[in-house]
Amino acid sequence: MPTLLEARGLVKHLGGRRVVDGVDLVCHAGEVLGLLGPNGAGKTTTLRMLYGFLRPEAGEIRIDGSTDLAQVKRQIGVCTQNDTFDGDFNVEQNLEIASTYFRPRPERVPERVRELIERFGLGPYATTRPEALSGGFRRRLMMARALIHRPRLLFLDEPTTGLDPQARMAVWDLVDGLRAEGLGIVLTTHYMDEAERLSDALTVLAAGRVVSQGTPKAVLGDLVGEHVVVVDVQAATEAGITAWLATRGLGAPGGVLREWHLPLRGDDLADFARAFPALRYEVRAPTLDDLFLKLAVTRP
Amino acid sequence: MKWLTAAFAWQSRAVMGRHVRLYFADWPIKLLPPALEPVTMLIAFGLGLGAYMSGIQWQGREVSYLTFVGPGMLAYAAFMTPFFQALFAAFIRMHFQRTWEGQLTTQIEMPHVVWGEILWAAALGTLYAAIVACVLALLRVFGVLELEVWRLPLLIPIAFLAGCAFASVGLCFTAVIPTIDHMNLPIFLLVLPLGFASATYFPIDHPVLIAIATVNPLYHLAEGLRGLLLGAPALYHLAALTLSCVVLIGVLVPLAMRLLSKRVLGE
Repeated sequence: MPTLLEARGLVKHLGGRRVVDGVDLVCHAGEVLGLLGPNGAGKTTTLRMLYGFLRPEAGEIRIDGSTDLAQVKRQIGVCTQNDTFDGDFNVEQNLEIASTYFRPRPERVPERVRELIERFGLGPYATTRPEALSGGFRRRLMMARALIHRPRLLFLDEPTTGLDPQARMAVWDLVDGLRAEGLGIVLTTHYMDEAERLSDALTVLAAGRVVSQGTPKAVLGDLVGEHVVVVDVQAATEAGITAWLATRGLGAPGGVLREWHLPLRGDDLADFARAFPALRYEVRAPTLDDLFLKLAVTRP
Repeated sequence: MKWLTAAFAWQSRAVMGRHVRLYFADWPIKLLPPALEPVTMLIAFGLGLGAYMSGIQWQGREVSYLTFVGPGMLAYAAFMTPFFQALFAAFIRMHFQRTWEGQLTTQIEMPHVVWGEILWAAALGTLYAAIVACVLALLRVFGVLELEVWRLPLLIPIAFLAGCAFASVGLCFTAVIPTIDHMNLPIFLLVLPLGFASATYFPIDHPVLIAIATVNPLYHLAEGLRGLLLGAPALYHLAALTLSCVVLIGVLVPLAMRLLSKRVLGE
């Protein structure tokens, strides 16, 4: 598959802070690249540099082989994190107006508008003002608008944030369909299940740096380990587990309330079982939630 | 000079086209206020207040108050409409509706957004001034005032240039005011003093006001239009107006682009 996006060594300071620090990433046609990381990791700033809202202080962005973003902007579609549709126009008019912002003008605009309205299930709302739509349909309108000019590369900044599960799954189906058509898609999210289900490749950011890249499984293996031990920690066992982790150089445990999630390699798991024979715990495969917990614990 | 060439780019026309489409979607409602306002004002000031006044001395001759105030109203329409468009309407599009952010995700860039707003504001100001001109022409037909109405078409380029300058002032305020409530500041600190020292509704002869007026583009617009329509010398005021407009546009448009890029894009 051809490379649509290649970014090397991106650096950006905002408010005196280095929020993006040497980020590299690549996205091919027919691929979803997930940009993942906790709040403040630099995902949105990276994305805003990629679609031209911010200028990188160092590094290079190459879209469809060109470094001149103004020349290749016709090739990209952008769905921002906030709703930025035109509130003065209805759904259908929003798509028509958006088509006037591209040259060469998109071909057969009325047909394209009808096609997108049908595809995104916006038919019943074609003459409705966007502010009257539910959150899920607003996101659909944002995505439809980003596609009016038939781009080859699509940027989706947290496309499902704030949506109910049904609306999220509808957006996932749409993203999946676009990937099948050969679009390259770069999406940011902090929903682990979304990143796992949608992404062909992941780039994990923490404090502005890439901490891992690859398929979701490879990223988890790199950063979390082979197993996760889930322990409901009691006062009697807390000190012992903490000391055991320290002797192994595994650092502070992540977890939720009194439930600790300990990412361990196979040999560590065997040692843990020997060290705490009477302890009740669960062993499961790692998920991206564990990755987030780990990043949150190790965050500077 | 990229900031200037952007004025002629297709992207700026596309932004302006968006405003034109919205405006003319319900044009009868939108055209009614600017058409009725000058009629009301001319009746109130010209026929009402003017009936209690003897003639006004202007450039060494006596003219009726209605004849004096007519060109002033033209100037006021060409001033207020672009300024308020670039202030309130643009702020709403930028801050509440995020329309600009949506436009900027396309091939539109900030210089095009700025020029699209300025050109639209100036075009609307020119349109409203033309409506006032039509009302004045109608009153001239009925012999209510004395103006050389055949010179009214000259208003169009003058109002458009002045509108671009006034809109660039409004956009700079839009770029820096934190909330819509702060709009009161430019209105009270700039619009009202400019209007006071402009000779739009009454002649100014106090030396301090005259001194202030020499750097007030609205004064030169009002006096220039008055000179044109009353058959008096207008070259000085029109030249001063042109110069001040060129300076305002040359300084404030690039400034607005820089400030708005910082505000909207965080750059």
